[in-house]
Amino acid sequence: MSYTFQWGVAFDYLPYLLGGALVTLHLTFLGFLAGLIIGLTTAVAQVYGSPIMQRTANIYVVFFTNTPSLVTAFFIFFGLPEFGILLSPYLCILINLALNAGAFLADVFRSGIQSVKTAEMEAAEIMGFSLFQKVQYVISPHIAKTLYPPISNLYIIFILGSALASIFGVEEITGRAFNVDSETFRSIEIYSIAAIIYVLLTFAASFALALVGRYVFRVKARMF
Amino acid sequence: MIQQFIDQAPIFFTLNNGLYWLRALMTTLSMALIGCVVGFIFGFVLVYFRTSTISWLLPLRALLIAYVEIFRRIPFLVLTFLILFASRGFGFQLSLFWVACVTIVLIATAYIAEIIRAGIEAVHRNQWECADVMNFSRARTMLYVIVPQSWVFIVPPAFSYFIMFIKETSLTSQIGTMELMSAGKYFNSIGISPLMAYGTCLLLYFALSYPLTLLGRRIEVRLKNRFKGNMEALSASDQ
Repeated sequence: MSYTFQWGVAFDYLPYLLGGALVTLHLTFLGFLAGLIIGLTTAVAQVYGSPIMQRTANIYVVFFTNTPSLVTAFFIFFGLPEFGILLSPYLCILINLALNAGAFLADVFRSGIQSVKTAEMEAAEIMGFSLFQKVQYVISPHIAKTLYPPISNLYIIFILGSALASIFGVEEITGRAFNVDSETFRSIEIYSIAAIIYVLLTFAASFALALVGRYVFRVKARMF
Repeated sequence: MIQQFIDQAPIFFTLNNGLYWLRALMTTLSMALIGCVVGFIFGFVLVYFRTSTISWLLPLRALLIAYVEIFRRIPFLVLTFLILFASRGFGFQLSLFWVACVTIVLIATAYIAEIIRAGIEAVHRNQWECADVMNFSRARTMLYVIVPQSWVFIVPPAFSYFIMFIKETSLTSQIGTMELMSAGKYFNSIGISPLMAYGTCLLLYFALSYPLTLLGRRIEVRLKNRFKGNMEALSASDQ
Protein backbone atom coordinates (compact mmCIF):
# COMPACT_ATOMS: atom_id res chain seq x y z
CA MET A 1 0.00 0.00 0.00
CA SER A 2 2.25 2.75 -1.24
CA TYR A 3 -0.62 5.04 -2.23
CA THR A 4 -2.18 7.51 0.22
CA PHE A 5 -5.72 8.50 -0.59
CA GLN A 6 -6.66 12.17 -0.36
CA TRP A 7 -10.40 12.24 -0.80
CA GLY A 8 -10.76 15.85 0.34
CA VAL A 9 -9.14 17.25 -2.80
CA ALA A 10 -11.41 15.13 -4.97
CA PHE A 11 -14.58 15.96 -3.06
CA ASP A 12 -14.02 19.70 -3.67
CA TYR A 13 -14.82 19.00 -7.32
CA LEU A 14 -17.96 16.96 -6.63
CA PRO A 15 -20.47 19.65 -7.76
CA TYR A 16 -18.48 20.10 -10.98
CA LEU A 17 -18.62 16.34 -11.66
CA LEU A 18 -22.33 16.18 -10.80
CA GLY A 19 -22.90 18.94 -13.34
CA GLY A 20 -21.38 16.54 -15.84
CA ALA A 21 -24.08 14.02 -15.01
CA LEU A 22 -26.62 16.54 -16.32
CA VAL A 23 -24.72 16.81 -19.62
CA THR A 24 -24.57 13.00 -19.86
CA LEU A 25 -28.30 12.80 -19.26
CA HIS A 26 -29.37 15.27 -21.91
CA LEU A 27 -26.80 13.99 -24.39
CA THR A 28 -28.06 10.42 -24.07
CA PHE A 29 -31.70 11.48 -23.88
CA LEU A 30 -31.56 13.49 -27.12
CA GLY A 31 -29.44 10.84 -28.82
CA PHE A 32 -31.74 8.06 -27.75
CA LEU A 33 -34.87 9.97 -28.79
CA ALA A 34 -33.41 10.49 -32.26
CA GLY A 35 -32.36 6.82 -32.20
CA LEU A 36 -35.92 5.74 -31.44
CA ILE A 37 -37.23 7.62 -34.48
CA ILE A 38 -34.43 6.34 -36.74
CA GLY A 39 -34.85 2.80 -35.39
CA LEU A 40 -38.61 2.72 -35.91
CA THR A 41 -38.30 4.11 -39.46
CA THR A 42 -35.56 1.61 -40.29
CA ALA A 43 -37.49 -1.33 -38.87
CA VAL A 44 -40.64 -0.36 -40.81
CA ALA A 45 -38.53 -0.01 -43.96
CA GLN A 46 -36.98 -3.42 -43.30
CA VAL A 47 -40.34 -5.13 -42.98
CA TYR A 48 -42.64 -3.22 -45.35
CA GLY A 49 -40.29 -1.29 -47.65
CA SER A 50 -39.51 -1.86 -51.30
CA PRO A 51 -36.53 -4.18 -51.98
CA ILE A 52 -34.17 -1.22 -52.36
CA MET A 53 -35.29 0.30 -49.06
CA GLN A 54 -34.97 -3.07 -47.35
CA ARG A 55 -31.45 -3.48 -48.71
CA THR A 56 -30.42 0.02 -47.59
CA ALA A 57 -31.92 -0.44 -44.13
CA ASN A 58 -30.19 -3.81 -43.76
CA ILE A 59 -26.82 -2.36 -44.75
CA TYR A 60 -27.26 0.46 -42.22
CA VAL A 61 -28.15 -1.91 -39.39
CA VAL A 62 -25.44 -4.47 -40.16
CA PHE A 63 -22.81 -1.75 -40.51
CA PHE A 64 -23.53 0.06 -37.26
CA THR A 65 -24.12 -3.03 -35.14
CA ASN A 66 -20.80 -4.52 -36.25
CA THR A 67 -18.47 -1.55 -35.84
CA PRO A 68 -17.41 0.02 -32.53
CA SER A 69 -19.11 3.27 -31.78
CA LEU A 70 -15.73 4.84 -30.96
CA VAL A 71 -14.45 4.24 -34.49
CA THR A 72 -17.60 5.59 -36.12
CA ALA A 73 -17.29 8.61 -33.83
CA PHE A 74 -13.69 9.16 -35.00
CA PHE A 75 -14.85 8.71 -38.57
CA ILE A 76 -17.58 11.33 -38.17
CA PHE A 77 -15.42 13.70 -36.12
CA PHE A 78 -12.44 13.69 -38.48
CA GLY A 79 -14.17 12.60 -41.67
CA LEU A 80 -16.88 15.22 -42.00
CA PRO A 81 -14.44 18.19 -42.03
CA GLU A 82 -12.89 16.58 -45.14
CA PHE A 83 -16.22 17.25 -46.87
CA GLY A 84 -16.26 20.80 -45.50
CA ILE A 85 -18.81 20.17 -42.73
CA LEU A 86 -17.63 21.49 -39.36
CA LEU A 87 -19.73 20.48 -36.38
CA SER A 88 -19.23 21.00 -32.67
CA PRO A 89 -17.99 17.93 -30.72
CA TYR A 90 -21.31 17.73 -28.89
CA LEU A 91 -23.24 17.58 -32.16
CA CYS A 92 -20.84 14.99 -33.62
CA ILE A 93 -21.27 12.71 -30.63
CA LEU A 94 -25.02 13.26 -30.70
CA ILE A 95 -25.18 12.19 -34.36
CA ASN A 96 -22.97 9.19 -33.64
CA LEU A 97 -25.03 8.10 -30.62
CA ALA A 98 -28.27 8.55 -32.56
CA LEU A 99 -27.03 6.50 -35.51
CA ASN A 100 -25.72 3.74 -33.21
CA ALA A 101 -28.85 3.66 -31.08
CA GLY A 102 -30.94 3.67 -34.25
CA ALA A 103 -29.22 0.53 -35.57
CA PHE A 104 -29.53 -1.41 -32.30
CA LEU A 105 -33.13 -0.27 -31.77
CA ALA A 106 -34.04 -1.19 -35.36
CA ASP A 107 -33.12 -4.79 -34.54
CA VAL A 108 -35.32 -4.70 -31.46
CA PHE A 109 -38.20 -2.98 -33.26
CA ARG A 110 -38.08 -5.41 -36.17
CA SER A 111 -38.58 -8.40 -33.90
CA GLY A 112 -41.40 -6.44 -32.25
CA ILE A 113 -43.13 -5.70 -35.55
CA GLN A 114 -42.84 -9.32 -36.59
CA SER A 115 -44.49 -10.36 -33.33
CA VAL A 116 -47.67 -8.36 -34.08
CA LYS A 117 -50.41 -10.90 -34.76
CA THR A 118 -51.26 -11.26 -38.46
CA ALA A 119 -54.98 -11.07 -37.64
CA GLU A 120 -54.50 -7.58 -36.21
CA MET A 121 -52.60 -6.47 -39.30
CA GLU A 122 -55.28 -7.95 -41.56
CA ALA A 123 -57.99 -6.14 -39.60
CA ALA A 124 -56.07 -2.88 -40.09
CA GLU A 125 -55.81 -3.71 -43.79
CA ILE A 126 -59.60 -4.17 -44.05
CA MET A 127 -60.19 -0.87 -42.27
CA GLY A 128 -58.19 0.72 -45.08
CA PHE A 129 -55.32 1.94 -42.89
CA SER A 130 -52.34 3.41 -44.65
CA LEU A 131 -48.87 2.24 -43.63
CA PHE A 132 -48.43 5.29 -41.42
CA GLN A 133 -51.76 4.68 -39.68
CA LYS A 134 -50.86 1.02 -39.15
CA VAL A 135 -47.61 2.04 -37.49
CA GLN A 136 -49.40 4.64 -35.39
CA TYR A 137 -52.46 2.72 -34.24
CA VAL A 138 -51.54 -0.99 -34.44
CA ILE A 139 -47.78 -1.47 -34.25
CA SER A 140 -46.73 1.30 -31.85
CA PRO A 141 -49.12 0.40 -28.98
CA HIS A 142 -48.09 -3.24 -29.28
CA ILE A 143 -44.38 -2.40 -29.38
CA ALA A 144 -44.63 0.07 -26.50
CA LYS A 145 -45.83 -2.67 -24.23
CA THR A 146 -43.76 -5.69 -25.24
CA LEU A 147 -40.50 -3.92 -26.04
CA TYR A 148 -40.40 -1.54 -23.10
CA PRO A 149 -38.03 -3.64 -20.90
CA PRO A 150 -35.38 -4.32 -23.60
CA ILE A 151 -35.48 -0.71 -24.74
CA SER A 152 -35.00 0.64 -21.23
CA ASN A 153 -32.06 -1.78 -20.84
CA LEU A 154 -30.58 -0.41 -24.05
CA TYR A 155 -30.92 3.11 -22.67
CA ILE A 156 -28.82 2.15 -19.64
CA ILE A 157 -26.19 0.64 -21.94
CA PHE A 158 -26.17 3.88 -23.94
CA ILE A 159 -25.60 5.97 -20.83
CA LEU A 160 -22.47 3.86 -20.27
CA GLY A 161 -21.52 4.09 -23.94
CA SER A 162 -21.77 7.87 -23.90
CA ALA A 163 -18.57 7.97 -21.82
CA LEU A 164 -16.67 7.98 -25.10
CA ALA A 165 -17.87 11.54 -25.70
CA SER A 166 -15.14 12.64 -23.29
CA ILE A 167 -12.48 11.61 -25.84
CA PHE A 168 -13.78 14.31 -28.19
CA GLY A 169 -13.88 16.99 -25.53
CA VAL A 170 -17.54 16.95 -24.56
CA GLU A 171 -17.66 17.84 -20.86
CA GLU A 172 -19.82 15.09 -19.45
CA ILE A 173 -18.96 13.04 -16.35
CA THR A 174 -15.88 11.35 -17.78
CA GLY A 175 -14.76 14.48 -19.61
CA ARG A 176 -14.96 16.52 -16.44
CA ALA A 177 -13.13 13.73 -14.60
CA PHE A 178 -10.31 14.10 -17.16
CA ASN A 179 -10.21 17.85 -16.49
CA VAL A 180 -10.14 17.49 -12.71
CA ASP A 181 -7.55 14.70 -12.99
CA SER A 182 -5.20 16.90 -14.98
CA GLU A 183 -5.54 19.65 -12.39
CA THR A 184 -5.23 17.66 -9.17
CA PHE A 185 -3.48 14.39 -10.18
CA ARG A 186 -5.64 12.45 -7.67
CA SER A 187 -6.52 9.96 -10.43
CA ILE A 188 -7.78 7.01 -8.39
CA GLU A 189 -10.08 9.14 -6.25
CA ILE A 190 -11.48 11.12 -9.19
CA TYR A 191 -12.21 8.07 -11.34
CA SER A 192 -13.73 6.21 -8.38
CA ILE A 193 -16.09 9.13 -7.80
CA ALA A 194 -16.92 9.23 -11.51
CA ALA A 195 -17.67 5.48 -11.44
CA ILE A 196 -19.90 5.90 -8.39
CA ILE A 197 -21.77 8.75 -10.09
CA TYR A 198 -22.36 6.49 -13.10
CA VAL A 199 -23.63 3.68 -10.87
CA LEU A 200 -26.04 6.01 -9.05
CA LEU A 201 -27.12 7.68 -12.29
CA THR A 202 -27.95 4.38 -14.00
CA PHE A 203 -29.75 3.11 -10.90
CA ALA A 204 -31.83 6.29 -10.85
CA ALA A 205 -32.50 5.95 -14.57
CA SER A 206 -33.57 2.28 -14.20
CA PHE A 207 -35.85 3.22 -11.33
CA ALA A 208 -37.43 6.14 -13.23
CA LEU A 209 -37.88 4.01 -16.34
CA ALA A 210 -39.47 1.21 -14.33
CA LEU A 211 -41.91 3.69 -12.76
CA VAL A 212 -42.79 5.23 -16.14
CA GLY A 213 -43.25 1.74 -17.58
CA ARG A 214 -45.53 0.68 -14.77
CA TYR A 215 -47.85 3.70 -14.86
CA VAL A 216 -47.79 4.70 -18.52
CA PHE A 217 -47.43 1.44 -20.42
CA ARG A 218 -48.70 -1.00 -17.76
CA VAL A 219 -45.50 -3.04 -18.00
CA LYS A 220 -44.28 -5.10 -15.10
CA ALA A 221 -40.72 -3.87 -15.42
CA ARG A 222 -38.15 -5.40 -13.13
CA MET A 223 -35.39 -3.19 -11.86
CA PHE A 224 -32.78 -5.92 -11.58
CA MET B 1 -10.06 14.41 -51.90
CA ILE B 2 -9.86 11.58 -54.43
CA GLN B 3 -6.52 13.00 -55.56
CA GLN B 4 -5.32 12.74 -51.95
CA PHE B 5 -6.36 9.07 -51.84
CA ILE B 6 -4.45 8.32 -55.03
CA ASP B 7 -1.40 10.18 -53.75
CA GLN B 8 -1.36 8.36 -50.44
CA ALA B 9 -2.24 4.88 -51.65
CA PRO B 10 1.38 3.82 -52.41
CA ILE B 11 2.50 4.98 -48.95
CA PHE B 12 -0.43 3.36 -47.20
CA PHE B 13 -0.87 0.00 -48.90
CA THR B 14 2.52 -1.58 -48.24
CA LEU B 15 3.42 -4.97 -46.83
CA ASN B 16 4.82 -3.54 -43.60
CA ASN B 17 1.68 -1.51 -42.94
CA GLY B 18 -0.40 -4.61 -43.66
CA LEU B 19 1.57 -6.57 -41.08
CA TYR B 20 1.13 -3.69 -38.62
CA TRP B 21 -2.65 -3.81 -39.10
CA LEU B 22 -2.60 -7.61 -38.75
CA ARG B 23 -0.74 -7.40 -35.44
CA ALA B 24 -3.17 -4.78 -34.19
CA LEU B 25 -6.06 -7.03 -35.23
CA MET B 26 -4.56 -9.97 -33.34
CA THR B 27 -4.08 -7.82 -30.22
CA THR B 28 -7.74 -6.79 -30.31
CA LEU B 29 -8.89 -10.36 -30.82
CA SER B 30 -6.67 -11.83 -28.10
CA MET B 31 -7.75 -9.18 -25.58
CA ALA B 32 -11.42 -9.95 -26.17
CA LEU B 33 -10.74 -13.70 -26.16
CA ILE B 34 -8.70 -13.71 -22.92
CA GLY B 35 -11.21 -11.40 -21.25
CA CYS B 36 -14.25 -13.42 -22.22
CA VAL B 37 -12.85 -16.90 -21.56
CA VAL B 38 -11.59 -15.93 -18.10
CA GLY B 39 -14.78 -13.95 -17.52
CA PHE B 40 -16.82 -17.03 -18.45
CA ILE B 41 -14.97 -19.20 -15.91
CA PHE B 42 -15.24 -16.57 -13.17
CA GLY B 43 -18.89 -16.04 -14.08
CA PHE B 44 -19.62 -19.73 -13.56
CA VAL B 45 -17.88 -19.76 -10.18
CA LEU B 46 -19.73 -16.58 -9.18
CA VAL B 47 -23.11 -18.01 -10.14
CA TYR B 48 -22.34 -21.29 -8.35
CA PHE B 49 -21.84 -19.44 -5.08
CA ARG B 50 -24.56 -16.90 -5.74
CA THR B 51 -27.26 -19.57 -6.17
CA SER B 52 -26.08 -21.64 -3.21
CA THR B 53 -28.50 -21.95 -0.30
CA ILE B 54 -26.04 -22.40 2.56
CA SER B 55 -26.91 -19.82 5.21
CA TRP B 56 -23.41 -18.92 6.36
CA LEU B 57 -22.53 -17.95 2.79
CA LEU B 58 -25.10 -15.15 2.91
CA PRO B 59 -22.54 -12.29 3.20
CA LEU B 60 -20.65 -13.72 0.22
CA ARG B 61 -23.89 -13.88 -1.77
CA ALA B 62 -24.69 -10.25 -0.98
CA LEU B 63 -21.17 -9.31 -2.02
CA LEU B 64 -21.48 -11.16 -5.33
CA ILE B 65 -24.85 -9.57 -6.11
CA ALA B 66 -23.40 -6.13 -5.34
CA TYR B 67 -20.41 -6.91 -7.59
CA VAL B 68 -22.64 -7.88 -10.52
CA GLU B 69 -24.97 -4.91 -10.11
CA ILE B 70 -22.15 -2.38 -9.75
CA PHE B 71 -19.80 -3.56 -12.49
CA ARG B 72 -22.61 -3.70 -15.04
CA ARG B 73 -23.12 0.01 -14.41
CA ILE B 74 -19.59 1.39 -14.73
CA PRO B 75 -18.54 2.56 -18.20
CA PHE B 76 -15.69 0.61 -19.74
CA LEU B 77 -13.65 3.78 -20.30
CA VAL B 78 -13.85 4.91 -16.67
CA LEU B 79 -12.97 1.45 -15.36
CA THR B 80 -9.99 1.23 -17.73
CA PHE B 81 -8.55 4.46 -16.35
CA LEU B 82 -9.34 3.40 -12.80
CA ILE B 83 -7.51 0.08 -13.22
CA LEU B 84 -4.60 1.78 -14.96
CA PHE B 85 -4.05 4.35 -12.23
CA ALA B 86 -4.82 1.93 -9.40
CA SER B 87 -2.30 -0.59 -10.71
CA ARG B 88 0.33 2.14 -10.98
CA GLY B 89 -0.61 3.69 -7.65
CA PHE B 90 -0.32 0.44 -5.74
CA GLY B 91 2.86 -0.54 -7.53
CA PHE B 92 1.78 -3.40 -9.79
CA GLN B 93 3.76 -3.01 -12.99
CA LEU B 94 1.16 -4.48 -15.34
CA SER B 95 1.71 -3.84 -19.02
CA LEU B 96 -1.00 -1.86 -20.79
CA PHE B 97 -2.22 -4.99 -22.55
CA TRP B 98 -2.83 -6.71 -19.22
CA VAL B 99 -4.50 -3.62 -17.76
CA ALA B 100 -6.97 -3.84 -20.66
CA CYS B 101 -7.40 -7.59 -20.09
CA VAL B 102 -8.09 -7.13 -16.37
CA THR B 103 -10.71 -4.49 -17.15
CA ILE B 104 -12.43 -6.72 -19.68
CA VAL B 105 -12.36 -9.65 -17.25
CA LEU B 106 -13.94 -7.55 -14.49
CA ILE B 107 -16.78 -6.33 -16.70
CA ALA B 108 -17.22 -9.59 -18.61
CA THR B 109 -17.54 -11.53 -15.35
CA ALA B 110 -20.44 -9.34 -14.26
CA TYR B 111 -22.24 -9.48 -17.62
CA ILE B 112 -21.70 -13.19 -18.25
CA ALA B 113 -22.66 -14.12 -14.68
CA GLU B 114 -26.03 -12.51 -15.32
CA ILE B 115 -26.44 -14.49 -18.56
CA ILE B 116 -25.47 -17.76 -16.86
CA ARG B 117 -27.86 -17.11 -13.97
CA ALA B 118 -30.72 -16.49 -16.41
CA GLY B 119 -29.79 -19.70 -18.27
CA ILE B 120 -29.70 -21.76 -15.08
CA GLU B 121 -33.01 -20.34 -13.89
CA ALA B 122 -34.57 -21.31 -17.22
CA VAL B 123 -34.05 -25.01 -16.41
CA HIS B 124 -37.15 -26.50 -14.86
CA ARG B 125 -37.21 -27.00 -11.08
CA ASN B 126 -38.17 -30.65 -11.50
CA GLN B 127 -34.65 -31.31 -12.72
CA TRP B 128 -33.19 -30.11 -9.41
CA GLU B 129 -35.66 -32.25 -7.48
CA CYS B 130 -34.96 -35.32 -9.60
CA ALA B 131 -31.24 -34.92 -9.04
CA ASP B 132 -31.93 -34.52 -5.32
CA VAL B 133 -33.84 -37.78 -5.29
CA MET B 134 -30.97 -39.48 -7.05
CA ASN B 135 -28.78 -38.26 -4.17
CA PHE B 136 -26.61 -36.02 -6.34
CA SER B 137 -24.53 -33.45 -4.53
CA ARG B 138 -24.99 -29.79 -5.48
CA ALA B 139 -21.83 -29.67 -7.57
CA ARG B 140 -22.73 -32.87 -9.40
CA THR B 141 -26.28 -31.66 -10.06
CA MET B 142 -24.89 -28.47 -11.51
CA LEU B 143 -22.28 -30.23 -13.62
CA TYR B 144 -24.24 -33.21 -14.96
CA VAL B 145 -27.88 -32.09 -14.92
CA ILE B 146 -28.32 -28.33 -15.00
CA VAL B 147 -25.44 -26.99 -17.06
CA PRO B 148 -25.88 -29.33 -20.06
CA GLN B 149 -29.51 -28.26 -20.31
CA SER B 150 -28.95 -24.53 -19.77
CA TRP B 151 -26.25 -24.48 -22.47
CA VAL B 152 -28.82 -23.57 -25.11
CA PHE B 153 -29.83 -20.45 -23.13
CA ILE B 154 -26.27 -19.44 -22.22
CA VAL B 155 -24.19 -19.82 -25.37
CA PRO B 156 -26.00 -17.54 -27.88
CA PRO B 157 -26.20 -14.43 -25.65
CA ALA B 158 -22.70 -15.08 -24.28
CA PHE B 159 -21.41 -15.22 -27.85
CA SER B 160 -23.06 -11.93 -28.75
CA TYR B 161 -21.46 -10.40 -25.63
CA PHE B 162 -18.10 -11.68 -26.85
CA ILE B 163 -18.68 -9.80 -30.12
CA MET B 164 -19.73 -6.73 -28.12
CA PHE B 165 -16.44 -6.91 -26.21
CA ILE B 166 -14.44 -7.02 -29.42
CA LYS B 167 -16.00 -3.66 -30.23
CA GLU B 168 -15.64 -2.42 -26.66
CA THR B 169 -11.84 -3.03 -26.67
CA SER B 170 -11.49 -0.08 -29.05
CA LEU B 171 -11.83 2.12 -25.94
CA THR B 172 -8.58 0.74 -24.52
CA SER B 173 -6.74 2.69 -27.24
CA GLN B 174 -7.21 5.65 -24.89
CA ILE B 175 -4.65 4.26 -22.44
CA GLY B 176 -2.29 3.44 -25.29
CA THR B 177 -2.77 -0.27 -25.90
CA MET B 178 -1.61 -1.02 -29.43
CA GLU B 179 -4.80 -2.40 -30.91
CA LEU B 180 -6.85 -1.72 -34.02
CA MET B 181 -8.13 1.70 -33.02
CA SER B 182 -4.64 2.88 -32.03
CA ALA B 183 -3.34 1.69 -35.38
CA GLY B 184 -5.93 3.93 -37.06
CA LYS B 185 -4.89 6.84 -34.87
CA TYR B 186 -1.22 6.19 -35.63
CA PHE B 187 -1.75 6.26 -39.39
CA ASN B 188 -3.84 9.41 -39.06
CA SER B 189 -1.08 11.07 -37.04
CA ILE B 190 1.63 10.35 -39.65
CA GLY B 191 -0.43 12.22 -42.22
CA ILE B 192 -2.67 9.62 -43.88
CA SER B 193 -6.10 11.12 -44.56
CA PRO B 194 -8.50 10.36 -41.69
CA LEU B 195 -11.07 8.91 -44.08
CA MET B 196 -8.55 6.31 -45.23
CA ALA B 197 -7.02 5.54 -41.81
CA TYR B 198 -10.28 5.28 -39.87
CA GLY B 199 -12.05 3.76 -42.87
CA THR B 200 -9.56 0.85 -42.87
CA CYS B 201 -10.08 0.59 -39.13
CA LEU B 202 -13.87 0.39 -39.60
CA LEU B 203 -13.56 -2.22 -42.32
CA LEU B 204 -11.24 -4.40 -40.23
CA TYR B 205 -13.57 -4.26 -37.22
CA PHE B 206 -16.43 -5.13 -39.53
CA ALA B 207 -14.44 -8.02 -41.04
CA LEU B 208 -13.76 -9.29 -37.52
CA SER B 209 -17.22 -8.96 -36.07
CA TYR B 210 -19.61 -9.70 -38.95
CA PRO B 211 -18.47 -13.32 -39.61
CA LEU B 212 -18.62 -13.93 -35.86
CA THR B 213 -22.19 -12.58 -35.78
CA LEU B 214 -23.17 -14.98 -38.56
CA LEU B 215 -21.39 -17.83 -36.75
CA GLY B 216 -23.28 -16.92 -33.57
CA ARG B 217 -26.59 -17.13 -35.42
CA ARG B 218 -25.68 -20.56 -36.79
CA ILE B 219 -24.67 -21.81 -33.35
CA GLU B 220 -28.00 -20.60 -31.98
CA VAL B 221 -30.00 -22.42 -34.67
CA ARG B 222 -27.99 -25.63 -34.23
CA LEU B 223 -28.32 -25.61 -30.44
CA LYS B 224 -32.07 -24.99 -30.73
CA ASN B 225 -32.43 -27.92 -33.12
CA ARG B 226 -30.37 -30.20 -30.94
CA PHE B 227 -32.37 -29.39 -27.85
CA LYS B 228 -35.74 -29.31 -29.55
CA GLY B 229 -36.80 -32.75 -28.36
CA ASN B 230 -35.59 -31.97 -24.88
CA MET B 231 -37.51 -28.68 -24.73
CA GLU B 232 -40.72 -30.27 -25.99
CA ALA B 233 -40.46 -32.95 -23.34
CA LEU B 234 -39.96 -30.28 -20.71
CA SER B 235 -42.93 -28.21 -21.81
CA ALA B 236 -45.03 -31.40 -21.99
CA SER B 237 -44.10 -32.23 -18.40
CA ASP B 238 -45.28 -28.76 -17.38
CA GLN B 239 -48.86 -29.46 -18.43
